[in-house]
Amino acid sequence: MRTTTAMKLGATAAVAALALTACTAPADDISNADFETAMSTPTTISMWAWAPGIENQVAMFEEAYPAIDVVLENVGQGGDHYTKVRTALEAGTGAPDVIQLEYQYVPSFVLTESLLDLAPYGANDVADQFTPWTWSQVTNGDAVYAIPQDAGPMGNLYREDILAAAGITEAPVTWDDYAVAAEAVRNQTGSYITALSGNDAGSFLGLVWAAGAAPFSYDGVETISVDLTGPATQEVIDYWQDLIDRDLVSTDPSFTDGWYQGLANGTLAGWLTAAWGPAFLQGTAADTTGLWRAAPLPTFDADNPIAGNWGGSTLAALSATEHPIVAAELAKFINTDPEATLKFATEQFLFPTRTEVLTSPEFAEQESEFYGGQRVNEIFAEISATVDTEFQWLPFQDFVAASFVDTLGKAISEKGDLSAGLAAWQDAIVTYATEQGFTVQ
Amino acid sequence: MIAGTVPTSRQILRNRRRHPRDRRSLLLTALVWLGVAYFLLPLLWLAIASTKDNADLFTTFGFAFGDEFNFFNNIVDLLEFRDGAFWRWTGNTILYAGASAVGATALATAAGYAFAKFEFPGRRFIFSAILGSIMIPATALALPTYLVFSSLGMVNTPWAIIIPSIVSPFGVYLMRVYAEDSVPNSLIEAARIDGASEVRIFFSIGVRLMVPGMVTVFLFSLVGVWNNFFLPLIMLSSSDLYPLTVGLAQLQALSTGGGGSTAVFSTVITGSFISIVPLVVAFLFLQRYWESGLADGSTKE
Amino acid sequence: MTTTSAIPHVRRGPSPHERKLVFTAYALITPFLVVFTAMVIAPLVYAGFLSLFQTRLIGGEQFVGLANFGKALTDPVFLAGVGRMSVFLLVQVPIMLGVALFFALAIDSGRLAGSRFSRIAIFVPFAVPGVVATMMWGYLYGEDFGPIAQSFRAIGLPAPALLSDDLILFAMMNIVTWSFVGYNMIIMYAALRVIPTELYEAAEIDGAGAIRVAWSIKVPAIRPAIMLTVIFSIIGSFQLFTEPTLLAAIAPNVIGTSYTPNMYAYTLAFRFQDVNYAAAVAFILGFVIMIVSYVVQLSGRRAEARR
Repeated sequence: MRTTTAMKLGATAAVAALALTACTAPADDISNADFETAMSTPTTISMWAWAPGIENQVAMFEEAYPAIDVVLENVGQGGDHYTKVRTALEAGTGAPDVIQLEYQYVPSFVLTESLLDLAPYGANDVADQFTPWTWSQVTNGDAVYAIPQDAGPMGNLYREDILAAAGITEAPVTWDDYAVAAEAVRNQTGSYITALSGNDAGSFLGLVWAAGAAPFSYDGVETISVDLTGPATQEVIDYWQDLIDRDLVSTDPSFTDGWYQGLANGTLAGWLTAAWGPAFLQGTAADTTGLWRAAPLPTFDADNPIAGNWGGSTLAALSATEHPIVAAELAKFINTDPEATLKFATEQFLFPTRTEVLTSPEFAEQESEFYGGQRVNEIFAEISATVDTEFQWLPFQDFVAASFVDTLGKAISEKGDLSAGLAAWQDAIVTYATEQGFTVQ
Repeated sequence: MIAGTVPTSRQILRNRRRHPRDRRSLLLTALVWLGVAYFLLPLLWLAIASTKDNADLFTTFGFAFGDEFNFFNNIVDLLEFRDGAFWRWTGNTILYAGASAVGATALATAAGYAFAKFEFPGRRFIFSAILGSIMIPATALALPTYLVFSSLGMVNTPWAIIIPSIVSPFGVYLMRVYAEDSVPNSLIEAARIDGASEVRIFFSIGVRLMVPGMVTVFLFSLVGVWNNFFLPLIMLSSSDLYPLTVGLAQLQALSTGGGGSTAVFSTVITGSFISIVPLVVAFLFLQRYWESGLADGSTKE
Repeated sequence: MTTTSAIPHVRRGPSPHERKLVFTAYALITPFLVVFTAMVIAPLVYAGFLSLFQTRLIGGEQFVGLANFGKALTDPVFLAGVGRMSVFLLVQVPIMLGVALFFALAIDSGRLAGSRFSRIAIFVPFAVPGVVATMMWGYLYGEDFGPIAQSFRAIGLPAPALLSDDLILFAMMNIVTWSFVGYNMIIMYAALRVIPTELYEAAEIDGAGAIRVAWSIKVPAIRPAIMLTVIFSIIGSFQLFTEPTLLAAIAPNVIGTSYTPNMYAYTLAFRFQDVNYAAAVAFILGFVIMIVSYVVQLSGRRAEARR
């Protein structure tokens, strides 16, 4: 293909326009010719991800682009993974081309200019395939920093039999209902209705998110705001303080051996969790098949339910990659190819971010024996539609997550003063941000 | 202590008389065997746990066998885990620990011999610097070492583990003390009078007499690297290069990780059990050597 | 080190022979020194250099002199870690070394049935990697399914929450004690074996009891070996990393990312990308270790001098 003069002119105009509107002008959109050349040149590209079974999607990609060889590596998950990525970036060698990146970490990597802006690689063309709130998490203005892979809108998984034994036959709709149910479950069966765990900032912030609060903001440059002590967050804190004080919820740490046992043996009658939770629970508490049910998260305002999100990931290309076209296409292909994304949803139990998959019969109509034949996916798909799009993250998520454990998390574990813990968390974040040179509003 | 006036430890060991048998103390024996139980029971638990599946692990009594004998299934799971990652990790561990221990022993033997048998400018100062370095925390070094290696493009290679690990200040100390005690000056003088070169004296007299000390340094370096978690954790990013410690820790993290985790408790436990066997065996077989090597190192201040 | 067993020679101008000896000596230590310089001295100097700067997420790098050290000395997170390790040191090290000394003396006394086996059995945990030891004890501690909890319940007692905030430091002490009693015992035992028997046989003939002989003859005789184990234990305690890092996976609400100073330095450097402050923290930790070791050695010598 020859580049025509018109295309050149158009490109020049586009560059000029971008230079006027953005301070850092992204590269011009790549041409089809460049794309074809890149994707047919034998290339080895590396990706670090921990999503189970992602080798399936990689294989589909390699089949679609036989010239490309993808080396997939699992270097750990969550904090360990990011530490490894950071370390490799710092070293300047050994960093992968594409990484799995959870939503809450996107701004942290944008800050250090580690992510490739995917907009010139046609990322905006796929924007309307995704649920709006996941897309808003990976973009800033016109820039697209990652492609959503899976999500974790939060719901309520509970033991129908235990709640029934306590006289609760309907899933609690409001938080007030939930408190009543918690008391009944505790008094009649001795179980806790759920655990509020102090070791994971993500699940707590999911609850905050679902209360319509947006405690963090970041302008993409150097101004942030932190408002953890605002009324919406305070409402969440007061609610749980009350349940903890009345010994109606456990505060055991999540994902520990004892916690697994609690879910398996019924000392925990429920789990407020994300959309990836149902499949996970099924693997952990296999002996309780048929006893569980899924429902939306309780809400403060029954007429106007808002949902929150906990977890879920994206794929992002690192700006240091030597093969930006291939890296961008890998991230995009895996998360937009109909076959690949359907397989994610139906076989690997990652909760979809593409509306097409969310509404596809293969996904939505799956009936789960573990949940008494419920269409669990459909329930979570409905929740997904109500997730608030305003929630943002701070560009130093590692610190936010680590300091949570030392402040509010500690207060939760010790069944202490949650408000004081929250205030300590707020202070720690503001102090750190100021030290690091941010303008804190 | 002045050399020559005190018999070497090896001579004492040889001369030492045994206590008569009839003076055994029942109380002492009972106390020590209680201690032995404390040290061995956890390992017994590990051995038994490696024969259980995930469900039995959490539901049956720790020191009783589970409902089924699952050891071989666990081994198969372990072998199949990520296309044999466990064996790659084992191979890496052997490579890193073996190469580092050989290197550390060679360097420490040469340096220890030189400190013990030669007078040269800077001897005292250099030796104190080496000894003092034992107190430097691993992180203080690991971080800048990491940055140096990364600027050389050597992070995420076996060299990033092996090169820092061949520095063994304690090994130099041990070999110096050992050389002082077990290589008689008279032998060296005699060889010099016979016209042997210093290199020849070192290899044919020094090294030969220092073998138990070398085994000690070798074994303790081997354990140090075999068991090291921190250095490979920061230096390596591709799991193909992991040693057992980092690999097992990652495997364990899979179980406790949250979203999308897989419960592989029985695999981790079986892997842990198998990973400790080689070192335990090495220590048992080489006990005679390292005990006499340590005997010398520990008598000096 | 009081001994100089190098072949003595008369002081005069260096003869060709002496020059050759000096050359040989340097040739022998050079391989070690090269690696030592590259892997210890150079990184240390580099870390010192790094610690004088500050890199902020916004605003980049600037020279700040000793500000990082000042910050560390008032950093509650760092000080809390040092505090925890001090408790660890004061409680765990005496227990571990006391137990090790007891075993060493018991085995050396020759009044033990199966002494060779006990010696090996006590030593074996040293060959178990800290990673494996911690995972293993983590399961043993488990509140619901661990054998310790099972045993307590079997005799009708409530299971202790070994992984709770109150007890986890002790749970950790136990793991380290389990791992290293054998190592320290062997060092002490090796030293006991080379005490000339004449030293205490006379006392035994005079009718001194075994305990008195052990306490007033054997223990003083192996003072250097004990001092060695004390210094190594101090260094090891302050540098604790593997055990708390792995326990954090099963007790994530108790062990944060800054539980020990070493974990804090690691978190700062590799998670928060603050290599400058991390270098300063590691340096101060090194100073603390040196000072404590020095004080211990000094008081050990004083005690000896007073005898």
